[in-house]
Amino acid sequence: MIDQLGNGLLLGIIISVASVALSLLYGVTRIVNFAHGEIIALGAIVTLFFSGPIDSRVLFLERFSPLGMSFVTSAIIGIIFCGVFGGLLELLLFRPLRKAEVGNIAVLVVTIGLSIFIRHLYLLFATGRVQNFPLDLERRQTYLFFEMTPRNFKVLIAGLIVMIVIGLFLTFTRMGKAMRAVRDSGELASVSGINSDSIILFTWISSSMLAGLAGIFQAIINDVRYNMGFLILLLIFAGTVLGGIGTSFGAMVGGLLIGIFVQVSVALPFMEGHTEAKNAVALAIMILILLFRPQGIFGQKERIS
Amino acid sequence: MKLSAKWVVTILLTIFSIYLVFVLNEEGPLRILFNLLTFAGIYGLAAIGLNVHFGLTGLLNFGHASFMGVGAYVTLLLIPHAAGREGEITESGLPFLLALFIGIISASLFGLLLGLPAIRLRGDYLAIVTIAAAEIFRLLVRDLESITGGVYGIINFSDSLQQYRPIYFENFVSRYELNPSQVWVGLLSWISILFVLVILKRLTNSPWGRALRAVREDEDAVRALGKNAVWLKLQSFMLGAGIAGLAGVFLAFNYGSLQTTTFVPLLTFYVWAIMILGGVGSLSGPIFGSIIFWVIISETDKLAALIFENANGQQLAGVRFVLVGLLIMVLMIFRPSGLLGKKEELLLNVK
Repeated sequence: MIDQLGNGLLLGIIISVASVALSLLYGVTRIVNFAHGEIIALGAIVTLFFSGPIDSRVLFLERFSPLGMSFVTSAIIGIIFCGVFGGLLELLLFRPLRKAEVGNIAVLVVTIGLSIFIRHLYLLFATGRVQNFPLDLERRQTYLFFEMTPRNFKVLIAGLIVMIVIGLFLTFTRMGKAMRAVRDSGELASVSGINSDSIILFTWISSSMLAGLAGIFQAIINDVRYNMGFLILLLIFAGTVLGGIGTSFGAMVGGLLIGIFVQVSVALPFMEGHTEAKNAVALAIMILILLFRPQGIFGQKERIS
Repeated sequence: MKLSAKWVVTILLTIFSIYLVFVLNEEGPLRILFNLLTFAGIYGLAAIGLNVHFGLTGLLNFGHASFMGVGAYVTLLLIPHAAGREGEITESGLPFLLALFIGIISASLFGLLLGLPAIRLRGDYLAIVTIAAAEIFRLLVRDLESITGGVYGIINFSDSLQQYRPIYFENFVSRYELNPSQVWVGLLSWISILFVLVILKRLTNSPWGRALRAVREDEDAVRALGKNAVWLKLQSFMLGAGIAGLAGVFLAFNYGSLQTTTFVPLLTFYVWAIMILGGVGSLSGPIFGSIIFWVIISETDKLAALIFENANGQQLAGVRFVLVGLLIMVLMIFRPSGLLGKKEELLLNVK
């Protein structure tokens, strides 16, 4: 059980970071972004591309000379790449859709199409092979009462620091306040002189960078694969919903809880021999929350029916 | 039926895409055509079911694969089959038609279950709930190996359907070097489409059909007029799910074996692409959408061969899905009403 708790915290921190990103984007733009998972995978794939030795590279990537940059540099490049990608998505796709007043259901379907499109581009150009970052194997150690590798422990700490930074940013900086203002009411925000277009662009960029970071975390703990983002997407939705849709702090807690639920459920007596079904537990929790407390743990009552 | 420009374009496009099959395949175009027509029939049937949900009633259902799965699993488990790692044989079973009936009813009841959240939830949340519920279904089926065969699936069930295949049909089809059992499945799926369309045509023109459309347009108005909007939504969910269940059975018989991997979310997205292409809210739109879609899909391997020197199965699938994603995006942005839909009947925005 305790072992699973450690695993749960690790999965939780990934989901948490990704959920905050999804929740920020939803709050400011009202877009339910099914392509979120693909941005997560992008972070991991770009990082692998810059850090990997040539033999773990793939297909068209093989035509480039080995880059083999240091892991941290590659990760930073990966995150920046995701930010640029998110910004381009907003400028080239979602802003024109917003200006054309395309309905939110149509935009939702567009993000689903986008998700399928990008994911299979990864399959084509980064192959379906499961790969790992070029990092040394490490032995597990005991931290407090959890057993995990030092690297995974660093991921956990880094994730917590990122959360705190986001929290401080949203609460105290002008930009963070502006984002929350646009989230609460776009019209009121623009009346008080906030340029909501640039806020939305900034949200896309920062949300995508966070997603990329979550992808790198996930790839460190598990591995890189083309559909890694889609596999975890529903858990991210679950985390977001559990914490309360559109609330950043809720998403943090919700994500952590979902990660812990998923991993700890493996240790439950009736789950013995049914580890494959562990994700079903988290999804069931999400459905129940949506039905009986749709505003989540921390959300305020809002019309969602 | 007035032959409007929309219809002319749709029919011409369909004929052109069938013509393309003959142009692009020098060897055995007929075989390829009948293969893709079988898939088109099955997926078209599923898309008609989805259209009852989204097109008619405005319910954003992204769990369609699970309805198809429930129909297929319940039906196959009730007829003679072999399942699981050891291929455990079940020789006794219900008559096929009775099993099929129970399968369709089960899919409908699962639709009722999945429809319950629709009472409370707004469109985009319903999308998340339905896709999650479909995943739960798939994970459970994969996990309950003792009942469903788990990852090893179900095999040896085809005879139940193929026993009805007449001898003269077999002789006729074999003359053209086609696969009789597949053409039989295809024929039955197209007959089912006609059957379902006739029923739906009557239903949608009835007061009940108008009430469903009214739920899509303005639920409060429906309530104010004393109609039970909740029950209407649930009925819509059950009807569409039942149709999807039938499609799922045909899908299983077409493959000849039943695997959990068939019912991944991508199956749902295929059906969505077909529905959008054919026309949301148009009864017969999905038929044409399905044929054109499958011609595109089945000819992509040539496209893939152009891009990659020796395209493997994974790359073929990749090119297909890149196209599917692109198709969904482009249609939704530039022509959300598809080939035969009406723009004013689309539900594209929820408050």
